[in-house]
Parts: sequence; structure tokens; C-alpha cells
Amino acid sequence: MSKSFVYVKPGMTPSEIVKRVRELDGVGITSTGMRDAGQSDYKNRLRIFDLKELAPFYNQMGLFSAECHGGARWHVGIMNRRESPFEEIEILRELMPNVLLQTLIRETNLWGYRPYPKNVIEYVVARVDIDVWRCFSFLNDIRNMRAVAEVVMKRGRLFEPAISFTQADWTTNDYYLKVVDEIVDLCGGVDEIVLCIKDMAGVGSPERIRSLVDAIKQKYPDIVIQYHRHATDGLALPALLAAAQAGAKLLDVQEDSLTRFYGQAPILSLQAYLEEAGIKVHLNREAAEGAVQKVREWIGGYDWAESPFRGFDHNVTRHRMPGGAFPSSFEQAEKGGFLHLMPQILRVMSLYNRIVKYFDVTPGSQITWVTCSGMVNRYAKEHGLSGVEHLIRLLTKFVEEKNQNFSAMTKQEQKELLELFRTAPGDFKNLLLGGYGKLPVGWPEEWVYKSAFGEEWKEKLKERKELSPLDSLKDEDLDAQRRQLEDTLGRTATEEEFILYLMHPKDAVDYIKFREKYSETPMVLPTEVWRNGLRKPGDMVEFELWGKPYRIELVSVGDEHDGLIHVVLRINNRTMVYTVETPRAKKAEIRMAKGPNEIGAPVSGNVWRIGNPERGPIKVGDIVHKGEEIANLEAMKMENAIVAPFNAKVVEICVKLNESVQEGQLLFVLEKV
Amino acid sequence: MEIKKVLVANRGVPAVRVMITLRDRKIPSVAVYSTPDRLAHHVFMADEAIHVGEAPPKESYLNQDMMIDAALKTGANAIHPGWGFLAENPDFAQKVIDAGLIWIGPSPEVIRAMGDKIRAKKIAKRANVPVVPGIEGVKSPQEIIRWMKEEDISFPVMIKAASGGGGKGMVKVSREEELKLALSQAASEAKKAFGDDTLLVEKYVERARHIEVQIVGDMEGNIVHLHERECTLQRRNQKIIEEAPSPALDESLREEICFTAVRLMREIGYYSAGTVEFLFDSDTKKFYFLEVNTRLQVEHGVTELITGLDIVSIMLDVATGRPLPFKQPEIHPNRWAIEVRLNAEDPKTFNPSFGRITRLQLPHGPNVRLSIGVNEGDEIPPYYDSLFLLIMSAGTNRLDAIRVMDRALGRGLRVEGIKTLQPLLLSIVRHPKYIKGEFSTRFIEEHMTELISMFRERNPDEEVLKIGRYVAEISALGPQGWM
Repeated sequence: MSKSFVYVKPGMTPSEIVKRVRELDGVGITSTGMRDAGQSDYKNRLRIFDLKELAPFYNQMGLFSAECHGGARWHVGIMNRRESPFEEIEILRELMPNVLLQTLIRETNLWGYRPYPKNVIEYVVARVDIDVWRCFSFLNDIRNMRAVAEVVMKRGRLFEPAISFTQADWTTNDYYLKVVDEIVDLCGGVDEIVLCIKDMAGVGSPERIRSLVDAIKQKYPDIVIQYHRHATDGLALPALLAAAQAGAKLLDVQEDSLTRFYGQAPILSLQAYLEEAGIKVHLNREAAEGAVQKVREWIGGYDWAESPFRGFDHNVTRHRMPGGAFPSSFEQAEKGGFLHLMPQILRVMSLYNRIVKYFDVTPGSQITWVTCSGMVNRYAKEHGLSGVEHLIRLLTKFVEEKNQNFSAMTKQEQKELLELFRTAPGDFKNLLLGGYGKLPVGWPEEWVYKSAFGEEWKEKLKERKELSPLDSLKDEDLDAQRRQLEDTLGRTATEEEFILYLMHPKDAVDYIKFREKYSETPMVLPTEVWRNGLRKPGDMVEFELWGKPYRIELVSVGDEHDGLIHVVLRINNRTMVYTVETPRAKKAEIRMAKGPNEIGAPVSGNVWRIGNPERGPIKVGDIVHKGEEIANLEAMKMENAIVAPFNAKVVEICVKLNESVQEGQLLFVLEKV
Repeated sequence: MEIKKVLVANRGVPAVRVMITLRDRKIPSVAVYSTPDRLAHHVFMADEAIHVGEAPPKESYLNQDMMIDAALKTGANAIHPGWGFLAENPDFAQKVIDAGLIWIGPSPEVIRAMGDKIRAKKIAKRANVPVVPGIEGVKSPQEIIRWMKEEDISFPVMIKAASGGGGKGMVKVSREEELKLALSQAASEAKKAFGDDTLLVEKYVERARHIEVQIVGDMEGNIVHLHERECTLQRRNQKIIEEAPSPALDESLREEICFTAVRLMREIGYYSAGTVEFLFDSDTKKFYFLEVNTRLQVEHGVTELITGLDIVSIMLDVATGRPLPFKQPEIHPNRWAIEVRLNAEDPKTFNPSFGRITRLQLPHGPNVRLSIGVNEGDEIPPYYDSLFLLIMSAGTNRLDAIRVMDRALGRGLRVEGIKTLQPLLLSIVRHPKYIKGEFSTRFIEEHMTELISMFRERNPDEEVLKIGRYVAEISALGPQGWM
């Protein structure tokens, strides 16, 4: 074999990794092909089934790391792709043992959308097998990173704090140097960390980036800087070159064939461009070409997942929508029927972000999106397009002409501004009250609070927290949470299932149920079959499951009758008939017992007696006593007495004598007496 | 009189079991069926079949006159009752005989005597067989409390139907407050299952084992035991795993218990196949007479496996007056055998699971015997017993037999469409205490959580069907909504 390009590997200590990077001749690279690339242009729809094909190439490419894990990939994974992040890690570990696996984590918000208490953070971070922990704060509130940093560094994994970057009048070098000071302070120096500049919207002009990297390197000459940049403004390559020239040692790229508009720069192009400029890029070009080619074999299967908005957008420098949110925002707009309002929404965002100042990246970008799209939609509904234009004129006047001087606006305009945030989402209001941490350059003006909270604004202002959520949130009762999950599942939960549940309770349960019902489907079906099934008789799909070969062949799909379709498959040559319910299938409405006052059937069976031999039949209005038999079910010749759990009045008898009932079906409604 | 044609007055597993021997013996068989059983497996196993009524057992499989009519109509000159339904009904046995037909079973008098648990206990005492302390014909909780005080007996106690069996009409009571409800439940179940609500109450022997002796006898008074079976593993007082021999007995105890059974059966003049059941207290090594089952039993197969005999065939011969073809010294069991009962039940809650068996893949290989009551595609109707399949395994010793059973349950059997006890049975045969032979009748209730935690063994053949379901749904309905 030719020379190995691998210079950092899982198992190395953080200081060893940092040392290797410092000693590297030229720059090293991180491929985002397995996460951010697929998020920014394909809404996280790229499946591990396809992505894992890249792993053997990554294993030889000489990457600094592979970003393969993060909040949206995690969430869409369980919600839609039905893959767990733990499964993905396991697969990738096996296929690319040389590569550092990297996650992107949202400080106290972890991989979710709300601040988690400290004990949840510590529990979860300690149990996810990731090598490089890139951690960002949408507020650049470094205090919020403490819990993640501590656990990661204690585990001997590499912590990579990120500063959220945007181009605004207030995001000066001085501002960022203060943020970096806090980071260096938190991490006890620069020898065990990599500092990331996270340009998540792709807005840093080459000279702005050069200046920022230079300023940081001037102050901390030994710090290893990684520049992460989206391509939305069309200037990714020159900005990456500028960063490298100023001393950034690591750059984020993706496979050329994955490149669309909102992800990272193309890997092969970057290498050529930098090397022409005299900067060596550490990369096994042959392996990288292999990965680029591999992508072409399957990327066509995801055309349906691409953003409806295509092409670069230099105006991103104003509205600052991050690359990762681009396709999903447009998708939501399309689904919500307001795609035509997108230009206006983006314009409102570019004004809004000068009133309430933070960074548009999760969960901030969601807050911005929901607040601004909500505002525009409200105006559109009430006054049509001219209403939206009016809103933009109002905000433009306030922000650009009057320099946000509230009293310079007319009474009528003031009144309107004071209504602006009244219907804003709860997360926006929570943000104003310090629920996520401190805003980067101070709280918004008072009128914003009046607008959001109306007459209560003064009391609300008193509730505003200056503390980090790490210090203000109470610990969660993990045992109770686990019990809740296990009650829902009706069995013990694995550690991994529990962590999924802690992040996204409802979606995690859906995911677990999906996998109980459909098993390894997401792991073994090719994307075409995953999406479309088998289209015509004779079509088949072959795969291996735990070392055994299988084939599923379509024999026929029947016509729909009463909402049911019979599908005949041959599974390893044995015929199977599946009855598939369409949305038109008639479902017999069976009332199930819920609360403590509702008595359900303990088994499926036949209600052969209502009441008991001593008192005879029971009627509505009767009083029954604790322990008294109120009905009896027979199932397979065994009797099952239903007894009153407390002294009660019979409010409703929900079954008839000799009716067959299902387990759990409602029999009686009682009222305590 | 020779047997020319046999009407099998039963359904499912027992009916099929009897028909298999009839085929061996080249005797034509007649199946009976209720309306929902029209396409049932036993109907097609028989040479001919006749409808005997509607779904409720009272109107079909328990309808005595209809059964006799059916035999006469089809030209059958003998009736085998299988087990359950009319098997231990002395009136029916008598009616069969009165109709000029051959009754394949013990005499109606013996059935009657032993069917009355109270009388049976008296007879046992007379034959010097130890019995469990008890009180008979109870009606009220007060009677029971009084008796418990007099005999210095503490809770729990067991309420039983005097004419019962198979766990029906049997209720264990742990506290005085429960007595009333338990009594009425037992009485009602007993009335329904056996047409008689007489009850008896017995001291509950904690951590007892349940050991029974298989007997065969002829009309000339020869009684031979075919050794014992261990039937300790029960859920809700119904056996689910049996084996022969019993791992709890040494040679001298075995001899004692078997000859005690023979002594009792000789005392009552028993012929045909029957079983004497004992409670065995493994701490004190004492055994107590429990009851006599005057019929073929579900678990007779394990005895057949260890002895090489066909008990149904012996019943046929004895019914025509032939003597037993062997003497006691000729019976040499030389195998260990285990049986598990596949019930259509939720393995966690034991709630019945009705529905269609969409797939039935059966275990094969050396030392596996099956007794099947259904075909793939059949419905399990809600009206009858939930047993649909018996799996038996054999080996030169107990561990061999367990290994074969593990293979049969773990790798061979697949039932789809309904829930079965399969996962529970597999957990039990894999449990270290079961493997060591250390268990009591309460083993399952005591270890339920642990047994359930052993359920999740996934195998790819199961999992691929779930993948098939996904492929079927997407092929029929198109891409998922979010796509």
C-alpha cells in the first residue's frame, strides 16, 4: 500500500490530536458529507444506507474528521429516516476505524431545541461515542458550554468550541476576541481544543474572515482554528483560502458531487485552489476522488429531497438564514402554501435581526423563522400582499431611517410596533426572558418587551434571567423519565432508547414503535425501494440481514376494497399475503378505558354477566362497593371477575350483555362516592 | 366385539391425536365439528365428518345425544372422547354403552366415582393413599374458616370443583376477604364447565410439585403403571410444560409413588388409560393423592416417548376386552421426554389471542414429536380451549431433551397471526433453575419478570417479515408522507 495519509485517529488524546494538527504541513480537512452537506441541500434525507458507502474512502482520505452526527441529523433520523444516531455511529466505527467521528452539539440545547438541565446534559454526553465535539451557542454564551465541555474533556475526547459568526455592525473582531477569551478560559488554554469559526449562513466575506482569523491568531498564536463555512453567498472558496492564508489550520468541505448551494465547498476544488495559492492540503486525492464518484451512484435517488429554492443567494448576507435551515424553510413554506411570500419573509428577517440580536443557527434560526414567517403570514392574511409591503416599509423606516429610535416613529406606527410580537411564539418570548442565556450584545429595547408581553411586560421583565440555563434549570428526575418511557413501551428500554427519548420524547417513541413494527427496514432497503416500494410484479429487492441472504419479490398488489389492499410478496420464495389498510379503511371505533374512573376489560372475551349473582344485574345510577364484582368476562372457558376498585356510582355501562370485548375496552364509567 | 369405525367426539389436538392411531390401526374415523370448525384440521384428518351443532360447546361438542346420533348415523361402533369436553362424563359414557356402542375409556362407574373428588378422596384413604387435608361440599366462607381453625390450617387454601379438572373451577385464596368472591367464581366456573357446582377446599401445599402416574389396565384386572410424569410447571393452575420421568424423584420414591397409584387403581377396578395425580412436597419428600384423571391426558405423549408405547392403541384394545399385551417387568423407559403446550395466548398476560394463524412453520429434526390441532391459515375460535399444538422432545437424558426442545422452540417453530406461549416456554427451558430441575408449581409466577426479560431474541427470519410489511405498504400506498 502507498503511504498512509492518516494523521489523527480515534483513541488519541486531545493534546496529541492538537499537536498533530499543528505539525501538519499545510491544512487538514473535515468532510461534512455525512451530515451538514446532506442537511443543507437535502434536508437530512440522505440515508446511512447510502452514506456508509463513503466510509471506506474516508478511512483512507487522511481527514481530520468526518462530521456525521448532529441535532437535525439525529432528529430527522428518528422522525423520518428511522435510523438512530447510535446505529449510525456503530456502522461508521466499523467501516472507518481511522476516522475521528464528529458531532455538532448545541451547548445546553444538546441535539434538541430547548435547554436541558445539567444532569441530562451530563448523562447524555457521557454516553455518546463521538471523538470530536463541535459545540456552538446561538448566543455565543460560552457559559452554556460548560457542562458539555467538562464531560467531553473528562472523557478524553476532543472538545471543539465554536464561535457563531455573522457579518453585522456589532460582530467586530473585538467582540469575537472577548468570546475567544471566554473559551480559552473555559478550556484551560489552547492545547487541548480546536477553535471553530462557524459561518453557518455562509456570509463571511474573504477579507472579513482573513481579518478575524488573523486577529485571533495574533492574540493566541498557538490556537488551532477550523473554519466552517457554508457556500450560500457563492464566495466559499475565496473565503476558505483567506482563512487558510491567515492561519486557519482546518477547513470544512464536502464531496464535489454532493455540492449544491447551501452546504460546504467542494473538496477537490478546494485542494486545487489552495495548492495553486501555495498552501498544501493534506488529502489522499485518489481516495477523495473515489468518494466523489461513489456519491454519483446514489445521489440521483434524492432529487425529491432537494430544496425547492435553488441557486446561490448573496442576499444571505442580509437575511442570514443558515445553510442548514435553507431547504427546510422553503419546504415548510411550500407545504404551508406561502412559498410566494419567501422574498418578503427573508426581507423581514434581515430587519428583525437588527432589532433582536443573536445568531441565526439552531435554535435561534427556528425562533427567527417562526417569528418572521408568522408575522408576514399574519399581515398577508389580514391585508394581503399590500399588508406585507406595509410591514416591510414600517420596519425599514424604523430600522434604517430612524435608527431604531422608537420615539421618532408616529403614534400610529408606535402602536403597530407594540403589536408586532404579541403573537410571537413562546420560544421567542422565552428568549427575551433569558431562558436560553444572555443575548450576545444585550437585551432588546423595552418596546420589544411591551410588544411581546403587553401590559404584563414589567412583571415579565422582572422574571428575566441573567444566569445560564445550566445554573437556573432544575435537574430532571431521570428515573421517572425512564419509567414513563418504559410504561409507554410496555417493556424495559435500552440505554440508547432512553437517550433518544430524553432528546425528543414523542418522536423517539414513534421511532421505537416504527422499528418494532418494521424492524431493520431502514437499514437494508435501497433508497428507491425505501421510497417507492416495488413497483411492478416481478420487481425484487435483495439484501442481507445478520449474515443471511433474503429476497423480497412483488407478486401482485390487489385492488382496494373497503379500504383494504392485499399485497402478495414472495419472501425467499415463500408466498406471503399482507393486508394493507389505506386511509379509507373503516376502523371500528372501540372506546378504550383511560382514566382511573374508567374500567376496562382485563382480557379479551365475552361479557356474560353484568352485575353479580347476589345483587343481580347492575344499572346506571347503582352504587357499587369496593371489591364488589360488577361484571364477569369469559375467555376460553375461564372466568374473569371485574371488581369495583372503589366505592362508586355507575355513571355509564358501555357494553351489552354477551358482547365480545377487546382487552382494554371500556366497560364502565364510575364516579367515586 | 371388534371396533369397525370410531367417532372421535372432540376437536383440535386431542381429536387429531386419536385419529393418528386410528390410521395406524387401519380403523376408519369420523370427525365431529361445530359450525365454526367446518374447515378445521381434525375434520380433514378423519375419513368422514359430521356436523354436530353450533359454536357454543353446549350446543356441539358437549351435546351428548347429538354425538351418539352422529355415531349411529355414520355407522361408527365406538366413540373415543379424547380429553376435555365429554371425556370424563359418566352419563355420556353410559349413554354410549346403552346405545350399543363401544366406549373407549374406563367404565362409567369409575368415572363417576373418581369424578366426584370427595368420593375419590375417601376411596384413596381407604386404599391407604395419603391425601391433602380438606373439607368437602362447602358453601360459605364461614364453613371454611371454621374448618381451618379446627385443622390448624392457614392461608392459602385451594378451592376446587368437586367434579373438575384442568384448572377450571380452581381458585387459590390467600386472604379471608377473597374467600367470598373466589367461592362464587369457582362455583360458577364449575357449573359451566362440569354442570356441577359442588366445591371442596384443600390446604394449599406451598412450593409443591405435581407428579402423576400413568396407568393402563384391562378388564381382566391387570394394572400396569407406565411410570410417572412431572407436571409442576403451571400457569393459572394449568400445566404448560410436562416431562417424564420426574427429576424430583429417586428410585425408591419413584417405585413407592408408582405402586401406590397401581394399588389405588386396582382398588377401584380401573381399566383403560388413566392417571393418578399427586402433590409432592420436595422438602419433606411426602406425596399426597390429588385426583384420578379417568381419561387420556394431554401429556400422555411424553410417556409414549419414554416407553415406546401407543396409549391410544392400548385403549382401543382394552375397550374390546383384550388383555394388556405386557406385564409390569416388561416396561423399561429408557429416554427422557419433555412436552410444551402451545396455547394461543399472550405470553406475558396469558390473555387469549384469537385470530387466524397466517403462518405455521413447524420444527423438525431428530427427537422432536408434534401433536397438531390446526393447519396454517386456520382461525383460532374464541369458543374453545386455546391449546393448538404440542411439541415434545426426547433425549437419552434430561439435558439432551432440553437441548432438543430449545432447538424446536428457538429455531424451528414460527407462528404468525396470533400470540402464543412460545417466548415464555423458551425462556423457561433456558432458565438455569429449570435446567437444574429445581422448580415448584409457583415457578412461573415467581419468575415471571425474569422470564419476560428473556423474551427478546430476534432472528432474521422473523424480522424479514416486518420488512416485507413495509415493502407491501409502500408498494400499495406510495411513498411516506414526508417524502
